Amino acid sequence: MKVPISWLKEYVDFDDSVKGLADKLTFSGIEVEGIHSAGDGFEGLLVGEIRKVDPHPDADKLTICIVYDGNEEHSVVCGAPNVKAGAKIPFAPIGTSLPNGVRINKAKIRGIQSSGMLLAEDELGLSDDHTGVVILEEHWEAGTALSEALGLPETVLELEITPNRPDCLSMMGIAREISALYGTKMKIPDTDMNEADPPVEKLASVEVADTTGCPRYTARVLANVQTGPSPDWMQKRLKLAGIRPINNVVDITNYVMLETGHPLHAFDKNLLENGRIVVRLARPDEKIKTLDETEHVLTADMLVIADSERPVALAGIMGGAGSEIQGNTDTVLLESACFEPMTIRRAARNLGISTESSYRFERGVDINGVEWASRRAAALLADLTGATVARGLIDAYPEKVSEQSVSCRWETVRSLTGMDISNDDIRSILESLSLNVTQADNAGLTVSIPTFRQDLEREVDLIEEIARMHGLDKVPTPSPQSRIVADAEDHRTRTLIDIKTRITGLGLYEIMNYSLVSKALLDLFDKSDAAVRIELPNPISSDQSTLRTSLIPQMVETLGRNNARQVSEAGFFELGRVFRNTQEGRLENERLSIGLMGPVGRTGIDKRNPVKGEEMFLWVKGVLEALLESQRIPDASLEAVDFPEFEPGFSAAVIIDGQEQGRIGIISPEIRKEWRFVEPVAAAELAVDPLLAHISDSVTSRPVAIFPAVTRDVALVADLSVRHDDIVRAIYDAAPGELEKVELFDIFEGEAVGDGRRSMAYSLTFRSAERTLTDEEVNGYHSSVKKALNDTLDVIIREG
Amino acid sequence: MKIEDIINLQNKALNEIEAAADSETLEAVRIKYIGRKGLIPDLMKGLKGADPTDRPEMGKRVNELKNTFQEKFSERRNQIESSRTESGDKTFDVTLPGQWRGLGKKHPISYLMERAIDIFHALGFTVADGPDIETVFNNFDALNHPPGHPARDATDTFYLSDGDLLRTHTSPVQVRHMLKHSPPVRIIAPGRCYRRDTPDATHSANFHQIEGLYVAENVSLADLKGDLAHFAHEAMGPETKVRFRPHFFPFTEPSVEVDFSCHICRGDGCRVCKQSGWIEIAGAGMVDPGVFEAVGYDTGTVTGYAFGMGIERIAMILFGITDIRDLYENDIRYLRQF
Ligand SMILES: [Zn+2]
Repeated sequence: MKVPISWLKEYVDFDDSVKGLADKLTFSGIEVEGIHSAGDGFEGLLVGEIRKVDPHPDADKLTICIVYDGNEEHSVVCGAPNVKAGAKIPFAPIGTSLPNGVRINKAKIRGIQSSGMLLAEDELGLSDDHTGVVILEEHWEAGTALSEALGLPETVLELEITPNRPDCLSMMGIAREISALYGTKMKIPDTDMNEADPPVEKLASVEVADTTGCPRYTARVLANVQTGPSPDWMQKRLKLAGIRPINNVVDITNYVMLETGHPLHAFDKNLLENGRIVVRLARPDEKIKTLDETEHVLTADMLVIADSERPVALAGIMGGAGSEIQGNTDTVLLESACFEPMTIRRAARNLGISTESSYRFERGVDINGVEWASRRAAALLADLTGATVARGLIDAYPEKVSEQSVSCRWETVRSLTGMDISNDDIRSILESLSLNVTQADNAGLTVSIPTFRQDLEREVDLIEEIARMHGLDKVPTPSPQSRIVADAEDHRTRTLIDIKTRITGLGLYEIMNYSLVSKALLDLFDKSDAAVRIELPNPISSDQSTLRTSLIPQMVETLGRNNARQVSEAGFFELGRVFRNTQEGRLENERLSIGLMGPVGRTGIDKRNPVKGEEMFLWVKGVLEALLESQRIPDASLEAVDFPEFEPGFSAAVIIDGQEQGRIGIISPEIRKEWRFVEPVAAAELAVDPLLAHISDSVTSRPVAIFPAVTRDVALVADLSVRHDDIVRAIYDAAPGELEKVELFDIFEGEAVGDGRRSMAYSLTFRSAERTLTDEEVNGYHSSVKKALNDTLDVIIREG
Repeated sequence: MKIEDIINLQNKALNEIEAAADSETLEAVRIKYIGRKGLIPDLMKGLKGADPTDRPEMGKRVNELKNTFQEKFSERRNQIESSRTESGDKTFDVTLPGQWRGLGKKHPISYLMERAIDIFHALGFTVADGPDIETVFNNFDALNHPPGHPARDATDTFYLSDGDLLRTHTSPVQVRHMLKHSPPVRIIAPGRCYRRDTPDATHSANFHQIEGLYVAENVSLADLKGDLAHFAHEAMGPETKVRFRPHFFPFTEPSVEVDFSCHICRGDGCRVCKQSGWIEIAGAGMVDPGVFEAVGYDTGTVTGYAFGMGIERIAMILFGITDIRDLYENDIRYLRQF
């Protein structure tokens, strides 16, 4: 909310700088988001008088104005449509600068010399209006400093009003806070006026059909209204507060709204059928054209103000075009009412309209302030439009709302805030906020809550008032207290952090992608889960319409983005949630993904050789193995399974404790094409929970064997269908417990071994925990391993 | 075999040890003489065929030979090694790039979350967790958001077709935890949240928060300040100051906004803190009795504080990030900086 300081001072005095005031407001709960100055930088700008207006010979839309600056005449080419001889306007002579820094120089415009500039509001930094030059009041003499004529400069506070404080959505509301903060008295504007017969009841009638939506409705009638522009001071204030002046009647209703926080509405009474107001719910599909010339189709939960025939306003939101104040309006029906917040909110939201009025009604206005606002506006209308105020007020207010009492215990104030506030201070703070103390004793006090403070309902609400007015800077800062409560346990968190630390130790960078992805991206990788995806009914864009079912698509997308930016190698991982709808209900699971691109697995400077799929696969598998080992997963293996996103053959399921817990592979060429990957890209995805299954397992240490180890090599040529795992298993099956380790140390394919075959060489380490093994023993083990391999697998043992 | 054979072999062996110029040659000498099939073991096997009267004397000699060889060999090896240490390999280029796989890094959001968790662990907080998909009850009703509260709008919140929603803050974890545990409660809840904001430099479709909750007897606003001051000191340096500004949140009363003194200018005012000397870090307050009622806690016996902070916001301030979306681009060159 924009609050001009000079306007505020009409209601309250305070002896402080603007900065001091801003700090006080901010630290008592009304945040000053900005302090703006309007009318700064007006040095050298003057009031000019237009003495003559001639058309420009070469341009239809331009005029040549002769402008008198109090000293001499200047010829100025101007594009504004509203210039006329005799008008007083803001004038920037040659050599001056506009508030935005633009310097005024001599210029030729369409061949005509122009000396100076006539200014519109935007050029003065007053608003963004550029419809014409500013027309000043006629009494200003040419040559007067423009700042004097505009009553500037003016300081405006930009306030953030929290939703619990609708009472502060007004100048008087803010003034009330300031009066509490500075201990000064509020100055209430005068509302004296003459009321004349006939009484208002003779001129109009009000029927409230929906008293829930409209608990109070008042109407006044004012005759003999002279419409026209409102006075400069009022227009200036409205503009500074961000409201465009329309005419004196509308401006007065807006002015009083900004002053009191009560939205008012003025109808041209002659346009109301039978001078009748009916507050009712709209009929289904009833239509109304609002002031902004938009036609709305209403629903039956929307509250309207109708005359005896048709809706004439959207209650609390916007007036109708058919009853608005016009140039020839002479009788006004002035509405001041209270509407139920939810009703207004729902309608405003459904119709897509938000106005100063709906904003205030949605947050709640003071039902007992309705009458004063009406009176204040009537007095201003009488004063500024010459209106005659009809006697009395129609006031449909069936259920009076009275002040509530709330109690507060002294000790609770102190124990909840931790502040040492005396009982007297508590009392005087509450009183400064217009909360009258109705009872006080040793335990606490009871105050009566004015109806403009609907937010104060409970003891804590009062404590908040006391705390903020006393000053939160007085909350002490005790030493921090470490406290462990029962059931404190953080194994999972620590392990997840540990897993991430370990993976970064493997050289991978952690990435974070959005949980929401496009359906198309998921489809590209694996259409088979389409049925279990959770889609948003109301996404912001199709890019982020579906909760991810896998981390792999975005992993590859991330690698692709890096690749497109000429990053040639990268290793990434992500820990995140995936979502799916299943028979058992909605599942939300933590997953880990890994992605590799380029020669990331090579530690040497050999980066130029092309990366082969085999290498890539084994790198990502290596990362996976390191991770599984670090989490002490005893039983994990890969099983060749073709998944849709992977290249056939380079695709496997990760099996942990007999369950499929993830997938690993080389991304298929079709998908790689999407991101123009030339080389293979590897990815893996794994459920996180199985990684945590063994974190609490106990570890029993064993001494390391001290007797010497003996190694023997086994070299063989095998059919490609014989898997490494088969060979290792066969070796272990054939060897005694003394076999400590089997290590593949050479693998070779080529002409020498024949098509469809490969040579593999294993180093077997034997060791006994009890004694030194003899050569003879080890040779015996070696022979039986070779024999077993020969007998059980399709291999040829190479001797020598 | 004669004693002379032993003496000759000894002379020959010691000469060869002496002549060995580098460790490779020396090693070859060692293998030649005392390897498994070396000359000295050979000699020992030959003892069997010697004259029985000479045998004790020859055995002694062979043993001496073996010991002397060992002794001279070690001597020479030490000489060679120390001479190499002195002269070195003058041709090796130590400026060649090292060859070991470099370390990766955690994402800055993780880094900050883990730091916060670590600091709050020391204060006795443990981590509580909840799902990203929440119920309206946990996300709004129990947190004292009245019906019609703007945050509930489908324009601001992602609802699923069954009426559940993507949580808009981590606060529902408070509700879940309190429904399951009786007081005292001392938890932090880091996690991902969602708001229906159009992405721009300061908004992204999901973001992260870390939430704290302490409920016990006699918890006060001062306890909140003391604990957050500890966090400030650990996270931003020991001189960091903490201040409260009054604010409004539906689920706390009184509510405050928490500022830390600027880590760049130490309070003098700079570009990062927009010349104020302070940086807004968290929203906080005393748990609203309405929340306690929703989870069945006795408002007569316990009070509590809660706080929440946006991790992306803090990352942007700490690391000078101007566009929140950079955090989700995952460009490795960007991630390498943190
Ligand atoms: Zn600073």
